[in-house]
Amino acid sequence: MENIFIILLGLSMIYIAATSRLSAHINMLIAQGWLLFFVCLSGFAKEPWFNWHMVAGPSCITANMPHIISLLFIIVETLIVKAIVIPLFLKKVLKKTQAHRDTEANIPHFYSLFIASIILFGGFLVANIGAPEFKLVDSMYFGVSLSIIITSLWLITIKHKVLSNVIGFITMENGIFLLSLSVAKEMPIIVNLGVLLDIFIAVFILGMLVNEINNEFEDLEVAHLSDLKDYEYND
Amino acid sequence: MINLILLFPILAFIILALCKKKFLNNLMINIYAAVHFIVSTAFCLNTDFLPMWKPCRFFAVDDTNKIFLMVMSAVFLAVAVYNNGYVKKETSLTKKLRHYTYMVLFFVFSMTGAVLSNNLGIAWVFIEGTTLASAYLIYFHKTKHSIEAAWKYVFICSIGIALAFVGIILMTIATGSLNSLFYSDLYNNAPLFNHFWLQLSFVFILFGIGTKMGLAPVHFWLPDAHAEAPSPISALLSATLLNSAFLMIVNVFRVMVFSGCSGYARIMLLVMGFLSLFITAVFVYHINNYKRMLAYSSIENMGILAIGTALGGVGMLAAMIHLIGHSLIKGAFFLTSGNILEIYGTKKIKSVTGLLKTDRRTGWLWILSFVGIAAFPPSVLFVSEFLMVKTMFLEKHYILCALFLLLLTIVIYGLAKAVIGMAFSSNKEENATEQREKVVLDWTMYLPQIVMLLIAFGIGIYMPRGLSETVLMSVAGF
Repeated sequence: MENIFIILLGLSMIYIAATSRLSAHINMLIAQGWLLFFVCLSGFAKEPWFNWHMVAGPSCITANMPHIISLLFIIVETLIVKAIVIPLFLKKVLKKTQAHRDTEANIPHFYSLFIASIILFGGFLVANIGAPEFKLVDSMYFGVSLSIIITSLWLITIKHKVLSNVIGFITMENGIFLLSLSVAKEMPIIVNLGVLLDIFIAVFILGMLVNEINNEFEDLEVAHLSDLKDYEYND
Repeated sequence: MINLILLFPILAFIILALCKKKFLNNLMINIYAAVHFIVSTAFCLNTDFLPMWKPCRFFAVDDTNKIFLMVMSAVFLAVAVYNNGYVKKETSLTKKLRHYTYMVLFFVFSMTGAVLSNNLGIAWVFIEGTTLASAYLIYFHKTKHSIEAAWKYVFICSIGIALAFVGIILMTIATGSLNSLFYSDLYNNAPLFNHFWLQLSFVFILFGIGTKMGLAPVHFWLPDAHAEAPSPISALLSATLLNSAFLMIVNVFRVMVFSGCSGYARIMLLVMGFLSLFITAVFVYHINNYKRMLAYSSIENMGILAIGTALGGVGMLAAMIHLIGHSLIKGAFFLTSGNILEIYGTKKIKSVTGLLKTDRRTGWLWILSFVGIAAFPPSVLFVSEFLMVKTMFLEKHYILCALFLLLLTIVIYGLAKAVIGMAFSSNKEENATEQREKVVLDWTMYLPQIVMLLIAFGIGIYMPRGLSETVLMSVAGF
């Protein structure tokens, strides 16, 4: 079951690579938040302690407290922050800055679609390489998260709008989150908490900066932000 | 005692938020700097004056981070003193000043947390915290260029740190069933780790945290951010932030050494170190913004630290000495550049003429900082670079040694050309000189640099026994 969600996550990156409307990208962020939530949930459903009895009575709740805390945490992290708060915030920024499309990307959409597919395929290939080292990781998680991270980095380099760079950053964080899910039981919860906080604040700060850039330069082209140079003095 | 330096900024935050008096802003930074300095001095003397107040298990002082803490305290104290004079000139808006204070407190708090944490994950969280705090400080002047610098800084560093997190995840894969990211657990179990995943994780962590540390080829945020930030913040960025990132690399490198696959890590560190030297040597010659020039010099020195770490043994010892010297001298250099910016109102090297005539003290500080950073004796950097060259020679890396010396010479030539030109050239416009001479700087804008340079030159001549023992202890195991 979880494999379906993971594959859908990989496909969502192909969709992001092939469209230019920023609101579509933000909708995809919402979809990714939900998909990550389902991936977590189906991971939990496999655990032996996961059933409705765990919330049956006070004694059961105290016995399962660590599990319930991590479950609650994942609900907060994926569902509330990734699927609701960050996309809403970005939509607000989008509305304010009136930057609806990221046209003139360096690479036409058809090629983007093609390259993103190749990266996804490459991720699967690497994860299923069959070397003994790769026995330590779940190939589905590893392959898709690798391809999400690489696609996001590549999208950041070809896009021209500041806001699409922020979106690329968030999809990269989603990919990393998927990777951390594959080793989630080893990760101390406080680290996850830190990750959550960092993404939240980073996006907040990036959003603020986008607003400032918008006020200062009147549109959100990355090209405005290349004035500081080594050999020319223009300060 | 650890609790004291970690909880004080939060307390200061609350006090500032509750009573919004203007005089409190500077006072809080000064008190925090004093508390920071006293506590870290106590740690270095191995005395704990609050033994009952145990810190939480994620923070501890060990032999390695003691030095980093002490250097940070010294630089922060100097910057706090300098700041008293600086903010008087810089801004009169109470609200802006309060935000500045909040962010300085948060910035130093997160650097302290990163240095003190004994867990890889927690250190990572605090390093990310430093990015968020210093982004506002770089954007402090609210000009087009400072937006650009802050944007590049936040974006590049966030991506770098996210990649470092991938490295940490890969590290947990390598550790197998060890369910912990505490450095002590990692060191003890290092021989059992899976080498493939460990090496992969080192690549990610080196590139990710190396972005924060300013190693080439991922240094691009550094010149912009250092040039656009207010001068006290540039000093903090260069002299403390880069070190706290370096500490994390040192700790991960130690895991590599203990697991027995450090050869590969050494090559990566060497390549990045020499690349940093090369980039500086190429760019520093033509630069026409003096704060940018200092930023490139920071890249060079971070490169030297990486090379020393890669050499190991005496090289590592040299790197630690270099770290102390670089932080003190570069802090003084950046603070002095703040004085020049106040007097001349421009960062352009060509527009600054006759510095010695215009303001004698600033001029001499500028020259002496250069003498220190160029590693002329008795600067302590001479000791460290000499040790490094000697190590390379003894280990028969003759080509590396020659390359190292050649690149350093080019960098020194580039720096000297700018610094000497600024200090000794004659004033072109007499009217402007009179204007400039009216700018009177507070005594707090000279004293910190003088003390920092005195310490840096002093320990170059005679290193106290306590300090040399602490340095020796910090490199045990390499």
